[in-house]
Amino acid sequence: MKKITELLKEKRIYFDGGTGTVLQGMGLPAGQSPELWNLTDPEKIISLHNMYFDAGANIVKTNTFGVNRDKFENYAELIREGIKCAKMAAQGRKDAYVAFDMGPTGKLLEPLGELKFEDAVSIFADNVRAAAGCGADLILIETMNDSYETKAAVLAAKENSDLPVFVTNVYDAGGKLMTGANPAAMIAMLEGLHVDGLGMNCSLGPDIMLNIIGEFRKYSSIPIIVNPNAGLPEVRNGETVYNIGEDEFSDYMIQLAEQGATILGGCCGTTPNFIRKTIEKTKDLLYELPCEKEFTCVSSYTHAVFVDKDPILIGERINPTGKPKLKEALRTGNLNYILNEGIRQTDAGSHILDVNVGLPEIDETEMMMKCVSALQSVTDLPLQIDSTNFDTLAHAMRIYNGKPLVNSVNGTEESMSHVLPIVQKYGGGLIALTIDEKGIPETAEGRAKIAENIIKRAAEYGIGKKEIIVDPLALTVSSNPESAVVTLEAIRLIRNLGVKTSLGISNISFGLPQRDLITSTFYANALQSGLNCAIMNPFSSAMMSAYHAYRALNMLDKGCVDYINYASANAQAAASPSAAQTEETLHTAIVKGLKEGAVIQTKKLIETVAPLEIINEHIIPALNEIGTAFEQKKAYLPQLLMSADAATAAFEVVKKNIPSEQSDSSKAIVLATVRGDIHDIGKNIVKVLMESYGFTVYDLGRDVPPETIRDCALEHNCKLVGLSALMTTTVPSMAETIKLLNETDRSIKTIVGGAVLNQEYADMIGADYYGADAMDSVRFAERFYNGG
Amino acid sequence: MKNSDIFMITAKPEEVEIDRNELAHRLGVARTYNDEIIDRCRKRLMNFIGYKCAYIRVPVDLSMKNVCDFGFMRAESKNLYKNLGGCREAFVFAVTAGIAVDRELARLQIISQAEHFVTDAIASAAVDSFCGEAAAEMKKGLRCAPRFSPGYGDLSLTLQAPLLQRLNAFELLGITLGSTYLMTPMKSITAIMGIRE
Repeated sequence: MKKITELLKEKRIYFDGGTGTVLQGMGLPAGQSPELWNLTDPEKIISLHNMYFDAGANIVKTNTFGVNRDKFENYAELIREGIKCAKMAAQGRKDAYVAFDMGPTGKLLEPLGELKFEDAVSIFADNVRAAAGCGADLILIETMNDSYETKAAVLAAKENSDLPVFVTNVYDAGGKLMTGANPAAMIAMLEGLHVDGLGMNCSLGPDIMLNIIGEFRKYSSIPIIVNPNAGLPEVRNGETVYNIGEDEFSDYMIQLAEQGATILGGCCGTTPNFIRKTIEKTKDLLYELPCEKEFTCVSSYTHAVFVDKDPILIGERINPTGKPKLKEALRTGNLNYILNEGIRQTDAGSHILDVNVGLPEIDETEMMMKCVSALQSVTDLPLQIDSTNFDTLAHAMRIYNGKPLVNSVNGTEESMSHVLPIVQKYGGGLIALTIDEKGIPETAEGRAKIAENIIKRAAEYGIGKKEIIVDPLALTVSSNPESAVVTLEAIRLIRNLGVKTSLGISNISFGLPQRDLITSTFYANALQSGLNCAIMNPFSSAMMSAYHAYRALNMLDKGCVDYINYASANAQAAASPSAAQTEETLHTAIVKGLKEGAVIQTKKLIETVAPLEIINEHIIPALNEIGTAFEQKKAYLPQLLMSADAATAAFEVVKKNIPSEQSDSSKAIVLATVRGDIHDIGKNIVKVLMESYGFTVYDLGRDVPPETIRDCALEHNCKLVGLSALMTTTVPSMAETIKLLNETDRSIKTIVGGAVLNQEYADMIGADYYGADAMDSVRFAERFYNGG
Repeated sequence: MKNSDIFMITAKPEEVEIDRNELAHRLGVARTYNDEIIDRCRKRLMNFIGYKCAYIRVPVDLSMKNVCDFGFMRAESKNLYKNLGGCREAFVFAVTAGIAVDRELARLQIISQAEHFVTDAIASAAVDSFCGEAAAEMKKGLRCAPRFSPGYGDLSLTLQAPLLQRLNAFELLGITLGSTYLMTPMKSITAIMGIRE
């Protein structure tokens, strides 16, 4: 029998329909898992499959939807028997295929849920291995409502089987998965993973799927599958029934076929007659496979970003080069700092975020994986995974939720032979640097030649031109006078090769005064020469102005609306500080919770007042004032928090002016809110204070298990641990943590704090010190390290 | 498995009125307290809320003292037994404000303590208010006991598992249960509401 991917090229084929209705008709009790019938009533399952084959379906889904090792101990047996039943029904029939069916685990993946990505892959892998050798013709991954779980399942299928893989996801009426992905995002990711067909199933009837199919038709280069429900559930005579009948359903399927659906079938509420009528009405319609689309795109877990005429901004700030604070954050594992940069760049208008965590003294792969995962929990922008370490690239691309942008491959044999296979496996847009073993060519033609080589080599790995974005490098003009001219010419030549281009734009102005002037002018010129992507600073007003002006001038901004919004916002920002803040002092700004005012006042003060004096004479007293007001119920918690925000912002300004040598890693403290507790306001204030006093702070965050705290203290040889808890129910966690620390190393001292604690509790649980407030804790820590 | 006896209720974010008392309580402020930050956070939160409810109406067997037997789950609880006194049936349901709220809260956690705290309080009050509205709709014309959730009194959190399973909560509402019986999305509520004759 032909491979299904071959048959697809010749004619339209059909999936089966829903199983629930049919099986319940055979006596399956409501609420019981149908999969068990593979063992107890196989003849009924075979009968079900026969009914659909008889109706003309080409593919039946095995009765294994909910089976995995977590839900059924005998999962392997259920899978084998399920495939066997389907194979028996298919026997002797023409063009009859068996799809090994895998549904979701029912658990949500990290970071929002608890299931680790690799554990999810492992669960699906066990399923695929159990199915191996049983004779299924393809693997169907269906009813997935989360892009990340979908990826785990696809990887498991691809790593454990050579069978074709089809994927259908659950979309809501708004055209999105539950965790936010739209069709363009799913298509980008799934095509990168080389599935053989994709589409939608369940949740919606064919009428609503008609609203979404256009997206698939526009973006998909591979066959499109639609398995709708028989409409939506409706209450009739005290029962829930699906509201679209077999005639109406099959009429809609005609339209779906005409709008680009390749493979048709049904889901909940549909029966063999639904499939029979659908086949009758669509089998003679014009049949075309989707054509190859030429989009260059990357995606996050929500949306795709397309690289075309509209310039793409890649925020460059998460990169340790020349950034001492980021280096510090990477060394201490301060993810919050990195996440903050990510969010701020997102708010500033970046389209993609570069992530580079290359520091010799840390484990780059581990940190990159942590950052990618954490960033994807707070921003929905696609990420550019930026590393010269092939291991780092591979690990990060594997766990990335979507289709990443990969920075980079270059023209050296070592780079191409290592990076291209990784991109082939996981999919991704690929930045290609025009460097080879001889270095960076001096001429534009030389750089274009390397680009050609890379494109040719990539094609051997099945990576098409559309995935490649060439970076001809912007060398520093002050030491390479011809740099800008050569680079611009290179962009023009490379565009003619039919690929997109990118530049790390800031490099051009290195070493010159007023860098922004050079960088933004070069950027405007580069855009005019055809540059698509720029790795740049989204906080640079000059760069953002050049970007917006270019769009307005080149018909990319209808009615100049975006430009006008940008220009008005700029004018407002320039006008506002002068008026309101003149009567404000830092003290009053903090007490009133005015974050911007606090920043402005601190910047003023720092010109004449020493940093530590600002902290002790202005910030702390203001916090004390609002804190007292709160205790006396003259101020409420929201106000206290706004003041804390303002104080934190003021601290940030002060910290910039404390020379970084003052940060002394021999004066360190591990801080955590204990397991079971998610309140961290107090801990965060202590942290900021400690850092201002020059301590190195290892902040483990909230809901932290005792073992993690102990491990951190041991890893950094830190003898002081600060624990925080706000809930009485978590004081036992604190006691547990202290006990573990004492058992591990009695020279580690603990200081505890939090609204629920007092000296009595602190003594009871064995803490070495009770910090009544943030300042008290800092003073104790100072005494601790000064031998006091 | 698609049960034909599960009903769904949805609402648009703007349609649900957030109870002022509930919100004030969660913010730790007086009922009349007003601040621009609250309005700002509420407005922004509306972009992320997706209210959904799934419910069933099932018989409940109270023949054994302090045991409430729903068939698919069995609760040993003095408090629930008292609450359901005289009921032969009950609504069992779950509501959620959706996963996009969780993401937005994670983001706010990084950038602003105040906005995170306020938005979190509003989201809790919001899902609670939707829960009340959904309960009102499902019980139209019926007299019901006050709703009672796993975790109240002596009603064990372990009941979350069979309850969510029976409601097909993962597929219909996107609700999953963590190892400490906390639900994801964070702003989700499960409840039992006895129907009095």
